[in-house]
Amino acid sequence: MVTLNHYLFVSGLLFTLGLTGVMLRRSLIIIFMSLEMMLSAANLSLVAFSRFNLVDGLPNYNGQAFVFFIITVAAAEVAVGLAIIVALFRARRTTNVDDITAMKY
Amino acid sequence: MPAIYLEAAVVVLGIVLMLMEAFVDKADKSFIGKIGIVGLAVIFLGLFMVEGPKDSNAHWAIWSFYAVDPTALFYKGFALITTIIVLIMSLDYRGVIQHYMGADQEKPQAGLGEFLYLPLFTCAGLMWMASAKDIVSIFVSLELVTISFYILVAFLRRNVGSLEAGVKYLILGALSTGFLVYGLTWLFGLSGETGLAEIAAELGNEESPMNAHPQALLFALALVIVALGFKVAAVPFQIWVPDVYQGAPTPITAFLSVGSKAAGFVVGYRIIEPFITSDAAPQLVTLILAISGATILLGNLAAVPQTNFKRMLAYSSISHAGFLLLALGCARAAGDDVKVEGVMALYLSGYLAMTLITFHVMCLVRDQLGGEEITTYNGLSKRSPFLAGMLLIAMVSLAGVPFTAGFFGKFYVFLLAMQSRFYVIIAVAVIGVGAGFYYYLKVVKAMYWEEADDDRKVTVPPLAKGALIALAIIIFVLGVYPSPILNFFS
Repeated sequence: MVTLNHYLFVSGLLFTLGLTGVMLRRSLIIIFMSLEMMLSAANLSLVAFSRFNLVDGLPNYNGQAFVFFIITVAAAEVAVGLAIIVALFRARRTTNVDDITAMKY
Repeated sequence: MPAIYLEAAVVVLGIVLMLMEAFVDKADKSFIGKIGIVGLAVIFLGLFMVEGPKDSNAHWAIWSFYAVDPTALFYKGFALITTIIVLIMSLDYRGVIQHYMGADQEKPQAGLGEFLYLPLFTCAGLMWMASAKDIVSIFVSLELVTISFYILVAFLRRNVGSLEAGVKYLILGALSTGFLVYGLTWLFGLSGETGLAEIAAELGNEESPMNAHPQALLFALALVIVALGFKVAAVPFQIWVPDVYQGAPTPITAFLSVGSKAAGFVVGYRIIEPFITSDAAPQLVTLILAISGATILLGNLAAVPQTNFKRMLAYSSISHAGFLLLALGCARAAGDDVKVEGVMALYLSGYLAMTLITFHVMCLVRDQLGGEEITTYNGLSKRSPFLAGMLLIAMVSLAGVPFTAGFFGKFYVFLLAMQSRFYVIIAVAVIGVGAGFYYYLKVVKAMYWEEADDDRKVTVPPLAKGALIALAIIIFVLGVYPSPILNFFS
């Protein structure tokens, strides 16, 4: 029997993996991918919460509606984000965060 | 007229200007900014004739996402005024934009049109944020603001600084979105509701999972605080601020530091306030006060050695976030005579006036003298006595000298902290204010006591002059008579 805790555990794992990726990886594209993973973690736990919080025997659909908003907004974020990363690549010929050091302290 | 029409009008105005930019065959694109300014001023007047739902059971579904209360109306006006001033600033900054957007003989005003209509979409997001009272609408409006800021910060795509600022803002902004969504998810999971009022009502329900699992609730709130800490630039989530403020185009820096911060505090207040005033999460107040103390201290002390004026203001903006957080942390002990909402609104109004004056002067100086270091301001009193006078007023107010708006803002925050008996944090804040005097007055010293390298003058266009004088009047009026804003919320 798969319970709410199983879903939350997997979702927490995804979130942690995403956060670790953002902090440890050095390529902007991979960092961006990890960020999307963090949003997916939230989506997974939203659906799980919605499925296990029954209201009159039906799932709580508010949570699932929220998931659609998150997916849509994440798509918009990717569109703008990748455009900025491409612009940076054209100007600097790199997407490595260690090279982005024009401003310090 | 339902309040929701205001946001609709701002979005429509933005789309119309976008189409005009593409199809109106006019060499000078600054007309887009001028139409935008007039349009927003008209929408601002509309603010005085809006109405909310007729009764609490209103059938129009939008009212469950959208609050119409004094807080919402105040911050809608706040967003509109900020955007108007930002557009005026952008008009004065166009030389720099054209330079970095690759303007040539064929397209002498490349990129200017886009720069003038994009802030309108941010403004619509900020106005919606002021009203958002459901975690879904909070998330969507916050993202509208953040995503349009990504574009604006990275706008000067041939300037390495602006691109770099854009990438840093993008990564850390998206990271904070991840935290926010995860925190809101847990709030939803614990309460089974998406409306903030319903979530707060669950606090009173003994059998709610929210009261059965205080650790889970604290986890959710901590994630939300992390995310909002990013938005309002609180320590330890302030790392992006100096770089992004320095690299972004100056009008956008001003927009970020005023609009984005104010909206972050409205949302923060709406989400956090019920939890501070209840017993569900007693550690929450300690957490907010610790963040606030660290923010005040780091913001003020790190600003002292800065030589770049914009970067110094970035740290100053961090320190002001600390004072506002301190006010938020006092929500529990605040009496009926001084409301936390009123104090935050007063602080932010003064902050709006002084910050926008500073950045406006900075836009004119950057456009005409070409520098952002504090040494560029040497002898500004000879180059333009008017601008030097305005910057003097703004600096004195930022430092918190009596008879300026900055003084009353800080005074009421200290008053709240005294009522709540947070003596340690008051001591920290006093150190911060003391350091503030040093670095703000450093700029004044450069303007009045240092000699300029050459005798170039700085001219001030009439529109900018009007805006600056209006902002200075706000500073002085709030400096002697703050009660209208304090009473607005009672």
